Amino acid sequence: MRKKILRSVLSTGLACSVAFSLVACGGAATDTDSQSVSDPEEREKVSITLGRQTTANPKFPEGDNYEDNAYIRMAEEELNIDITDAFEAESGDDYNRQVSLALSAGEIPDMMKVASKDEVRELYENDLIMDLTKYYDEYASDYVKELYDSFEGRALENVTFDGMMMAIPATASDPGTSMCWIRQDWVDGLGLEVDGDGDRCLTVDEVREIAKAFMTGNPENAENPVGMAFDISLTSQGSDGTNSINAIAYSVGAYPRHWYTDESGQLIYGSTTEQMKEALSIVRGLFEEGIVDEQLGTRTWDDITSLLTNGQTGVVFGSWHIADWLLNNVYTLNNNAVFTPYAVVSSEGKVNCTHSNSTGEFVVVSKKCKHPELAIMILNLFYDDMVNSDELLEKYPEVNDYLNTGVDGTARPFNIEVKSNTYLLDEYSKLKAALNGTGTKEDIPTAEEKSNYDAITAYNNGTGDVTGWCKIHSRTKGVDLLSYLTDKGLYNWVTPIYPETTNTMETNWANLQTLEEESFIKIVTGAVDIDEGFDTFVKDWKAQGGDTIASEITEQVTNN
Amino acid sequence: MRKKYYHFFVIPGMLFLLVFNYIPMLGLIMAFQDFVPAKGLTGSEFVGLQHFVYMFNLPDIGRVIRNTIVISLGKIIIGMLLAIAFAILLNEIRQKFLKSSIQTIVYLPHFLSWVVLAAVAVNLFNLNGLVNSILTGFGLERINFLGDNNVFRKFIIGTDVWKEFGYNSVVYLAAITGIDAGLHEAAAIDGAGWWRRILHVTLPGMLPIIMLMTAMNLTTILSAGFDQIYNLYSPMVYESGDVLDTYVYRIGLVGRQYSFGTAVGLLRSVIGMALMVSANKLTHSLTGQRIY
Repeated sequence: MRKKILRSVLSTGLACSVAFSLVACGGAATDTDSQSVSDPEEREKVSITLGRQTTANPKFPEGDNYEDNAYIRMAEEELNIDITDAFEAESGDDYNRQVSLALSAGEIPDMMKVASKDEVRELYENDLIMDLTKYYDEYASDYVKELYDSFEGRALENVTFDGMMMAIPATASDPGTSMCWIRQDWVDGLGLEVDGDGDRCLTVDEVREIAKAFMTGNPENAENPVGMAFDISLTSQGSDGTNSINAIAYSVGAYPRHWYTDESGQLIYGSTTEQMKEALSIVRGLFEEGIVDEQLGTRTWDDITSLLTNGQTGVVFGSWHIADWLLNNVYTLNNNAVFTPYAVVSSEGKVNCTHSNSTGEFVVVSKKCKHPELAIMILNLFYDDMVNSDELLEKYPEVNDYLNTGVDGTARPFNIEVKSNTYLLDEYSKLKAALNGTGTKEDIPTAEEKSNYDAITAYNNGTGDVTGWCKIHSRTKGVDLLSYLTDKGLYNWVTPIYPETTNTMETNWANLQTLEEESFIKIVTGAVDIDEGFDTFVKDWKAQGGDTIASEITEQVTNN
Repeated sequence: MRKKYYHFFVIPGMLFLLVFNYIPMLGLIMAFQDFVPAKGLTGSEFVGLQHFVYMFNLPDIGRVIRNTIVISLGKIIIGMLLAIAFAILLNEIRQKFLKSSIQTIVYLPHFLSWVVLAAVAVNLFNLNGLVNSILTGFGLERINFLGDNNVFRKFIIGTDVWKEFGYNSVVYLAAITGIDAGLHEAAAIDGAGWWRRILHVTLPGMLPIIMLMTAMNLTTILSAGFDQIYNLYSPMVYESGDVLDTYVYRIGLVGRQYSFGTAVGLLRSVIGMALMVSANKLTHSLTGQRIY
C-alpha cells in the first residue's frame, strides 16, 4: 500500500517537473535587455519572474490572484516593474519540490523564496545566485538594516557565504521561555499561595507543590487528577516548547536538542550533557511521586488537552501563545477558567533561554537577474514603507484593505517576514499603552495587534467572548511576562548553533532522534536505572553517528 | 473452440494489471539508485546495493525485524486458528437469523479504520480505561497495555485478531459448505460423534483452503500492520512494538528517502515471495496438492 503511495507521489513529481521546465524556460526568456539603470523613474519597465509560495486559502477579494493582487500592483507601480510568476506552489513539500527541481534544472526565476539554508548553499555552490552584498549596502533602507541588526549579526551571518551576502533572510524572533501556566481560579479557590514574593518566577519545587496541592484539592472533582503532563517527545527544539520539559531542563542549564559551544569552545549537543541527566532525574522524581501523569509516554497531545479541559490538571507548560489555540479549549468548556503564567527559574534566579534560529527562510536572486537591486527595493517597500509610511497606504487604499481584512501574507512578492527581534515586545508595549490609556489604538502599528485591542476591550466590556479571553491571556499575561523578564534583566541567553544538515545527519539523524526520545522516556518512567540508562544513551548516541555529526558541524562552523 | 472469443473479455483486466501492477515495477530500479525526482529514473545515479547495506547496518534493524516477525506470526497463527474455529462453530448454528446477525456483528470491525479503532482501543485500555477499572474492581493489578513492553505485542496481536477473525472466517465457512454432506452422513452412520466428524471430515475437507491461506498470509510476514501499530505505539514500546513499516516511516520521512523506501519494499516482496514458493512446495510434498 505504501509503495503505491510512493509511486503516485513520484509520478506527480515527474508530471510537475515537465510542467515546470516549460514555465522556467519562459521565465528566463522574459529577462529584459534594459541597462542597469536603477532609479525606477528613469529606466524602462523591467520584467521580473518570481517563484511564489502560496496557500490554500489566501482570502483574496473577488478577481484577485497571486499574479495580480493589491500588493503586486503596488510593487509594479512603485518600482516600475512587471511581475510574472515562474511557478506557484503551496508552501511545504509542493513548494520545496519546485525549488529542488529548479535547482537541479539549473534554471531559477529572478527571485524566489527558499525554505532552508541547505538549499541556499546548494544554489550558491552551483553558482546560480547573485552576491547581494553591494546592493544591500547601497539600497537597503536604514530601517531595514536596523531590523536585521536587532539580531546582533545572526541574521546576516546566516546568509553570508565566503564573505558574500547570498540571500535576503527572513527573520524569526525569539519566542522566549516555556512558561508554566497555572489555573488561577483553582489557586484562589483552594486558598493557595503562589509566588509569594511577586517576582512572577517559580522554582521547579514551587511548581511541584502547586501541582501536588491541585491533585489533593481536586477543585473540579475530576476522576483521575494529574499533576502535570508532558508530550511523548518530552523535549522540544523551540525554547518555548509546549507540553515539554524544556522549562525544567533549562532551569538546570540543560538545552536539549540544541547544539552550542561551551567555554572551552567545545561543541556540545545539549541532550547528552550532565545537566540533561539532572533534568531527567528531576522529572523522574516527579513521576515517582505520582505528580507527573502516570500515563506519560502513551498520552498524545490531544489527550493532554483533554486533561486540561476535563479539569484533571491545572498546570501546563507552554509558549506565550498557547492561550490562543490550546487554553482557549478550557475556557470554552468552563468560563471560570483563568490562567496565570510564571517563568521557571534556575537556582541563581535567572531564566535560561536559547535564542531561536534567527533565519529559517530566504529569498535568493538569480545570477541571471538583470536588476538585483529590485530585490532590495521590494524588501524596503514591504518591510519598511508599508509598515512606516501612512502616505503609501493612503495612496494604495486597497493594500490597506488587504492588511485589515487579513489577506494572506503569501500574496506579497516575497512570502517572508522581516521584523525586528523585539517586534513582539515592541508591538505589545503599544497595545499595553492603548489599553491602560497612556496611548491610543491608532499608535498600535499592526492590524493584528489592533484587532487584539478590540477583542480585549470588548471582553472587558463584558461580552465574555473567547477571543478576548485568549488575547488577554496571550498578550497581557504571556507577552507581558516576556517583556517583564527582558526589562528586569532576568534572562540568561544562550546562543546555539543551528547547523546545516550534514551528510551523516541525512542518514542517521532520524534514528538518533528516536534513540533520544526512547531513552528519555525510559529514564523518566523508571524503566531503566538513571545513571546506567543515561550513560548508555550517551554512548550509543555517540557511536551511532553523534560524534561524526559533531565533527562535521565543527568543520562547518570553522569553514564559514 | 466455439468459446475462444470469450477470451477477449480478459483483455481489459490484463491491461489494468499491466498498467497498474507491472509497469510501476520499473520503479524498483529506484532501490538501486540514489533517486532524485528531478533527474528521474533515467538520470539518477546508480549506487548498487548501498541502500540494502545501509538498511542492515541500521542500529535497531535486528530488534525491528524480530518484532515484525513475532507480531505477524502471532497475528497469522492465532488469527487463523480463531477464524477456523469460529467458522466451524458458526456452521453448526441452524437458526438462520441468529447465524447471519452474528456474522454481521463480527465482520463489522474489519470495515473500520485503525485510526478510529485505535482511539477506541486507547480509551478502553489506558490506565484509567474500562478494562483497567474492571481489573481493579476484581482487586487485580492494573496493566499498562500501551506502555509495557511485556504486554504491548500481545495487545497488538489481540486487537488485530479481534478485528479480523470474523472477516477471515468467511473463506473457511465457504470451504465447510463445500464439503460433501454425504461424508458427514456416512461418518454419523458409522457412529462418529460431533467432535470426531469435525476432526475427520470437516478439517480434512478444509485442508486445501487452510494451506492456501497459510501460504498467502506468509507473504505478508514482513508487514505487521502499519496503520494499527502507528496509531497505538509510542517511544515507550519501541522495544517490543517497533516494526519494519513504522521504523522505515520514521527514518525515511526525514529527507524523503525514496530509494531507501523502495529498497525496503523490494526486500519485503522478495522475502514474501520466497516464503510463498516454499509454502507451495511444502504443501505439494505433504498433501500432493498445489496452490498454484
